[in-house]
Amino acid sequence: MNKGWIGFLAGLVLVGSAWAQRPDTIVIAQGVDVTVLDPNNQLETPTANVLSNIFDTLYMRMPDGTARPWLATGVRAINPTTWEMTIRQGVKFHNGEELTAETVKWNFDRVIDPQKPLRISNSWANLASVQVINPTTLRFTTRNPFPVFVTRLTGFYILPQKYVTEGGNRYLQEPVGTGPYKFVRWVRDQQFELEANPNYWGGAPKIRRVIFRPIPEASSRVAELVSGGVDIITNLVPEAVNAVRASGAAEVRSVPSIRNIFIMLNTSGKADSPLANPKVRLALNYAVDKRTIVKNVLGGFGQPTGCSLNSYIFGYDARSCQPYEYNPARAKQLLAEAGYPNGFTMTMGSPNGRYLNDRQVAEALVGQLAQVGVRVELRVQEWSTYVGQILERRIPTDAVLLGWGNNEFDADNSLYSLFYGGTVRGGPRQVAFSYIRSVPLDNALLQAQRTTDPDQRKKLYLDALRVLRAEAPWIFLHQQEDLYGVAKRVDWKPRPDERLFVADMALK
Amino acid sequence: MAAYLIRRLALVLVVVWGTATLAFFLLFLSGDPVNLLLPLDATPEVREQFRKANGFDRPVWQQYLSYMGRAVQGDLGISLRNQTPALGLVLERMPASMVLAGAALLFAVVFGVLAGVIAAVRKGTTLEFVVLFFALLGQSLPVFWLALMLILVFGLELRWLPISGYGVGPLPGLPALANLVLPAIAVGTFSMAAITRLTRGGVLRELRSDHVRTARAKGLSERVVIYKHALRNAAIPVVTVIGLQLGNLLSGAVITETIFAWPGVGRLVLTAVTQQDFPVVQAAVIVFAVLLAVINLVVDLLYGVLDPRVRYA
Repeated sequence: MNKGWIGFLAGLVLVGSAWAQRPDTIVIAQGVDVTVLDPNNQLETPTANVLSNIFDTLYMRMPDGTARPWLATGVRAINPTTWEMTIRQGVKFHNGEELTAETVKWNFDRVIDPQKPLRISNSWANLASVQVINPTTLRFTTRNPFPVFVTRLTGFYILPQKYVTEGGNRYLQEPVGTGPYKFVRWVRDQQFELEANPNYWGGAPKIRRVIFRPIPEASSRVAELVSGGVDIITNLVPEAVNAVRASGAAEVRSVPSIRNIFIMLNTSGKADSPLANPKVRLALNYAVDKRTIVKNVLGGFGQPTGCSLNSYIFGYDARSCQPYEYNPARAKQLLAEAGYPNGFTMTMGSPNGRYLNDRQVAEALVGQLAQVGVRVELRVQEWSTYVGQILERRIPTDAVLLGWGNNEFDADNSLYSLFYGGTVRGGPRQVAFSYIRSVPLDNALLQAQRTTDPDQRKKLYLDALRVLRAEAPWIFLHQQEDLYGVAKRVDWKPRPDERLFVADMALK
Repeated sequence: MAAYLIRRLALVLVVVWGTATLAFFLLFLSGDPVNLLLPLDATPEVREQFRKANGFDRPVWQQYLSYMGRAVQGDLGISLRNQTPALGLVLERMPASMVLAGAALLFAVVFGVLAGVIAAVRKGTTLEFVVLFFALLGQSLPVFWLALMLILVFGLELRWLPISGYGVGPLPGLPALANLVLPAIAVGTFSMAAITRLTRGGVLRELRSDHVRTARAKGLSERVVIYKHALRNAAIPVVTVIGLQLGNLLSGAVITETIFAWPGVGRLVLTAVTQQDFPVVQAAVIVFAVLLAVINLVVDLLYGVLDPRVRYA
């Protein structure tokens, strides 16, 4: 090899590494790539995180969990099944198309079309029709009272009607929204580029260029962050926290997440199953040392919980959600009272890699339950098989570890979906694997869906939480914390809903 | 020769059809893809709508027949996640996988053959021992460990090479050379070690053979004896292994592609499997079946070039 060759190769190497950092560009690495460019036909956090910079929603979720008017300027309930919405004036899509009430109506009609279901259609099954009253006002008619109407608007994106209907498939290749960033290009599995929209109705964003990169391997993400190749990494694992802190270039930022982790117990199996007895279920809750699990398995990044809600969620009540104390003596006593002085044997399933150190949490539980004589046989499964079994209600184990990220920030999404037992009407909900047959509980959950009065709903959810506290259908574990590695030059605070709004960020 | 070729090409079709059928039914058994597409609290009615819209509500044999009917026309279905043609998704990532496999193979062959010849010629010396030691190491190191160590040393400590990604290459669609180096070494090391050991064995055997003794007796230089007479004859098993390795390199780079965030087919398939995106998995299986069958055919034809005694009939 002569000298010319060596120079050529060295040049290529330098070109390769020089593109990384520029003062007006932020690089964000998530674990997986965007899948589709239609924000109303996806349910994946990494995809939504990218698209929510291009598209606006009608309401915006604030960091404290509340919803604030965004493309809509307000919503008013006329009666329990009729809502009136006003639309922000003067908003333009990136291609110049104007946002009108007609655009909004078309977007809803598209989502509720039963012939072509989209992946968010499920959330809008209650919506019967949308009428345009005047260019800035719409009227929504729902089949039943719809108290979560406003909160669901935070997940409803507005697409440009003309561009979608007249441009063929172009909207799936070059998305156009009203958001603070414009689409530049997307090379699958490589990078997704955005540039600032200087005419954004909310004011031009501070950072000019954004690159989202999918980097699946957690340790490669950390290496990129530490070496300065990327500015923000998601899903930082607790094991890498020290490496990031020691780097000097980046720091760890965390936020309690909307997601709770728990063990669903099969209360609906055979009548002679120990788990059908509330005393046994309470005993299991007292037998688990949640603080130690959070400290040792999650590196301290979590909060023990005692219910299926957390403080972001409407309907949460601090007293009913106190974690059950760790008291193995009391657990043993309850087991003895229930007729199991020597404990019993049960099986438990856990996914591997779906939630923060999920398998390790399950393993720690096995050890702790053994202390009170409950012998747990753990079966770890790959997520797609695992979740399939839960949905098809052919769960081979007595207990399953699961997480629930309430994307509506409303108790209805957690409590009704997970605990409605079908004593009043219909059957139990599909994922209600550990439902308890309680008429007061079912009544409270149904009534809370039928009223739009927030105070009334709060009271009903309090009733529900009290029943659940006494019956302990789950082993309540913890509220997860989301961990990010963030370069020191980035001014940004993580959000509980995992969104990465670049318009909220700045470079120092 | 022509008859042989036609027979072999027909066999390729049978292999591809068999693989596609097997993959179809195995995927069908692995569960309902709608489960992962919708949120956990989706109602049964909405699930049913989705099954209908995607044709999952029909009997399996009907799904199979319509799938195969469309497949022969080149339509391998639409990705459930990405909502774009599955075949396009696979082919789009093919260049990245091929470049990586090619670079890894180049690395493996150049260094493997060289090291193998050195070890054979220097039999009994410390040099041979060192070469064999590294060959053993290369075959036993887990690829994820090797990959992470490469990142740690060359990406983080020395900062010589990029840690992940494809970069922007000299030509559209090609990676930056710097980005290619570490993944290629990670993928190619196992093959390099295998080629080293095989070359060494072959050359040693040939060096003891009659025709090499004759060549030496004729007074040919040692270089000509080794490279023209010994290595060429030792090359036949090496070519077979290279052919087999190429298949491995193309389809088996899943871990490396994941660690280095390389936009190849392996990473696509891994994601598709975990998301139960059947059409994508199926398309990748078919593409790989075609590719491997063709590679095997080419290897068989190469024997004839290397060894004139081989005849095709």
